Amino acid sequence: MRISDLILMGLRNLSRRKARTALTVVGMVIGTISIVVMVSIGIGMNKIFTKSVMENGSMTIISIYKNSYVESEDGNYQSIEQKMDDALVNEISQIDHVDAVTPIYDKYVQLTSGKYQSNMELIAMDCTAMPKFGFPALSEGEYPTPENNEIILIGADAMQDFYYFSGRTPKQKTIELGKDKVSFTFSEYAVNEKKKPVTVNLNNYALFAESEDYRYNYCSYIDLEYFKTLYKKYAATLKAEDRKKALASLESYEEIRINVDNMKNVMDVQKTIEEMGYKCESDMQYLDSMLETSNMLQMVLGAIGLVAMLVSAINIANTMVMSIYERTKEIGIMKVLGCYIRDIKKLFLFESGMIGLIGGTLGMGFSYLASHYINKYGGTLLSSIMPGGGYYTEEGAKFSQIPIWLPLAAMLFAIVVGVVAGYIPARRATKISAIEAMKTDG
Amino acid sequence: MGENIEKIIEVKNVKKIYHMGHERICALNDVSFHILKGEFCCLLGTSGSGKSTLLNLMAGIEKASGGQIIIKGKNISKMSENNLAKFRQRYLGFVFQSYNLMNSMTAIENVEFPLVFKKVPRKIRRKMARDMLIKVGLGSRLRHKPKEMSGGQQQRVGIARAFVANPQIVFADEPTGNLDTKTTMEVMDLIKGMAKANHQTIVMVTHDPRLASYADKIIHILDGNIQSVEILRDITKPEEQTAASLEDTEEENKKEEKEIVSVQATENDKEMEERI
Ligand SMILES: Nc1ncnc2c1ncn2[C@@H]1O[C@H](COP(=O)(O)OP(=O)(O)OP(=O)(O)O)[C@@H](O)[C@H]1O
Ligand SMILES: [Mg+2]
Repeated sequence: MRISDLILMGLRNLSRRKARTALTVVGMVIGTISIVVMVSIGIGMNKIFTKSVMENGSMTIISIYKNSYVESEDGNYQSIEQKMDDALVNEISQIDHVDAVTPIYDKYVQLTSGKYQSNMELIAMDCTAMPKFGFPALSEGEYPTPENNEIILIGADAMQDFYYFSGRTPKQKTIELGKDKVSFTFSEYAVNEKKKPVTVNLNNYALFAESEDYRYNYCSYIDLEYFKTLYKKYAATLKAEDRKKALASLESYEEIRINVDNMKNVMDVQKTIEEMGYKCESDMQYLDSMLETSNMLQMVLGAIGLVAMLVSAINIANTMVMSIYERTKEIGIMKVLGCYIRDIKKLFLFESGMIGLIGGTLGMGFSYLASHYINKYGGTLLSSIMPGGGYYTEEGAKFSQIPIWLPLAAMLFAIVVGVVAGYIPARRATKISAIEAMKTDG
Repeated sequence: MGENIEKIIEVKNVKKIYHMGHERICALNDVSFHILKGEFCCLLGTSGSGKSTLLNLMAGIEKASGGQIIIKGKNISKMSENNLAKFRQRYLGFVFQSYNLMNSMTAIENVEFPLVFKKVPRKIRRKMARDMLIKVGLGSRLRHKPKEMSGGQQQRVGIARAFVANPQIVFADEPTGNLDTKTTMEVMDLIKGMAKANHQTIVMVTHDPRLASYADKIIHILDGNIQSVEILRDITKPEEQTAASLEDTEEENKKEEKEIVSVQATENDKEMEERI
C-alpha cells in the first residue's frame, strides 16, 4: 500500500466512528493536560524557591562560627565554642574544591557624623579573598589590597538611619559619604576616660551597589590586617582588664568563611569540614533539603499525570480492540485481496498514533490555558503545599511554568503512548485468519 | 499443441484435517487433480463435501495438512504470508457467495481496492475500476454503497473487483448462491464472458449441477474425495483452438492497454519472481 492510501484509509476509519474517536481523543487530551500541568507546577515551584533562596545568599559559601550549636544526644541544642586559628584556615584551604578561605572578625562600630550617630557591622576579612565571595559590584572605589589595605567597603544602605537624639523625637538623616564627614569608633567596652579614644575617619572607602541580598546592604568590610592594627590600638586605650579581654578575643576568629568552586561540591566540602570536627553551615544545606522535598513533590505530581496518561492509554487500546472486532470482516477481505500483514499493522498503529497526536496537540493547547488559570487563581493553595510553606513565594509568582520542551515532549509521549497502546490490538488484527474473519458479520 | 497447454493449478495428494478438541474432521482426503490454463473448472458436490475447503486451500487462504498445491509452478503451501499476499495481488481474484464487499466503501472504491494493495496510482486505478463497473453494467451505480444495492448488483461489484486487476485465476465460491435464477444466469454469463475474453482460468464451487454445465471440466467431490472428473469441453481440441487463437489476438490488444497502467505492477512481479 502507498503511504498516502494508508493515511487516507486510517483517517477515514477514524472519522467513521466520530463519537468514539472523539471520546478517546478527549481521554488523551486529559492525559496530556494532566502530565503537562503537573510537571509544569513541579518546575514552577522548583524555580520559585531556588530563586528566592538564591536571592537570600550565595549558594557556594560555607561558614564555621566560633559560637555554634550542636544537637546533643537528648535532643537539646547545646552551645559550643570552636577555636579557630590560622592553622585551621590553612588546613581548610587544602581541601579539594575550596576556592577561597578567609578568617573573619565581626564587630559593631559606632558611626558619628557631627551630632548624628548610627551603628554599623564591621566585618574584617582577608582583603585578597574579598573579590571571591560574590560581593555585589562596587559603585564607587576599589577593593583594598595588601599594599593599600585601609580601604573600607561600605554597604549601599549603611549610611541611612543616622539619628540625632535631642528632645522627644530623634531626628533622622541619611549621610552622604564624601560630602558629610563620618568617623567610627569601637564601642565594645566602656570608655577609658584617661586615654584618647581611637577614631577612624571614613575617608578611604568604597561603596557597594544596591544588592538583592539585603545582608550586603547594611554592613561594611575591612581588611583583616588593618582591622587588627586598629583594634590593637583600641585595646591599648582600654582599662587593663578590658584590654586583656579585647586582645584575647582576637586569638580565635569569629568565623571562617569558605567559598567553594561549584554549588555541586558544597555539600562535599561541608562534610569534609565536619569530619575534621567543626560544625559549619551553608545556605546550600537548606536548599538541598528543600530541593529534596521539592523533587519528591515533583515526582508525586508527575505520577498523578502519568496515571492519567495510563488511563488514556488503556482507553486507546480499548478503542482499538473494539475497532478490530468491528472490522474483523474487513481485515479478512483485505487479507484475501492481497494486503500485506505489515500494512494492516501499520494501518492500526497509524490510527492509534493519530489519536495520540490529535489528543496530544489539543492537550498541549489546553495545558497553556490551564497553566494560565493556575497562575491566576491557584497561588494560595499551591504555596501551602510547597516546601517552606509559602514562605518563599512572592506575590504573583508563576507556579506553573511550561518550558518549551515540555509540550513537545508531552506530544511525542502522547504519540508514543498511542502507538504502544495500539500495538497489541494491531498485532491481534494481523493474526486473524482470513477465512474466519470473512465468516463474521460486518 | 494440446499437450503444450500449461497446467496452471496442480493439486497433489492434498489432505485437510480439522482438529476440534480431540475430534479430527477429515474435510479432504488425499485429493489430486489439475486445472489447465484458461479452463473453466467447477467443483461440484453436496453440502459439507469439502468444496469450499478445497477452494480455500488452492487460494492459499488456508494451509493444507498434507500434499502439495502448485500454482504457476510454485508450491504455495511453502510460501510465506508475505509472498502469498504478493501472489494473490498478482495472479488471483476472488468472488464470494456473500459478496464480501467493504460496507463503508462505494462500489467504485470496492472495485479499486485490490489495486490499492498493488500500489497502482490513484488516477489510473479509478479509471480501471470505472471501466470495469461499466463492463458489468453498473455504470450508474459507481457511488452507491453495498447496502444501497441489490444482491445481484452487489455480486456484479464483487465480480468487477475480482477481474479488475486482470488476474490469471479467479476463484469463486458459490457466486450465485444468494441470487434468483434469472440473476444467476446473468452473473454466470458475466463471469464466463470475462474469463473467456481474457483467457483466464476460473475455479468455481457449486452444489447446483445446472450451473456446472457452464464449465469445461467438472470435479465431483463427495465426502472429501474426488468421485470423478468430467470433461465437458476439451480446451486442447483443435476446433476450440481457432476460437482460442481468435480470442488470443483479442487478448493481446487488451494486454497492451493494460500494460500502460501496470508498469509498476510488472516490476513488482519480476522482483517477486526472483524471490519466490
Ligand atoms: N473451520 C473448520 N473447523 C472444523 N471443521 C470444518 C471447518 N471448516 C469446514 N469444516 C468441516 O469440513 C467439512 C467440509 O466443509 P466445507 O465448508 O468445505 O463444505 P462445502 O462443501 O463447502 O459445503 P457447502 O456447500 O455447505 O458450503 C465439513 O464437514 C465441515 O464441517
Ligand atoms: Mg461451501
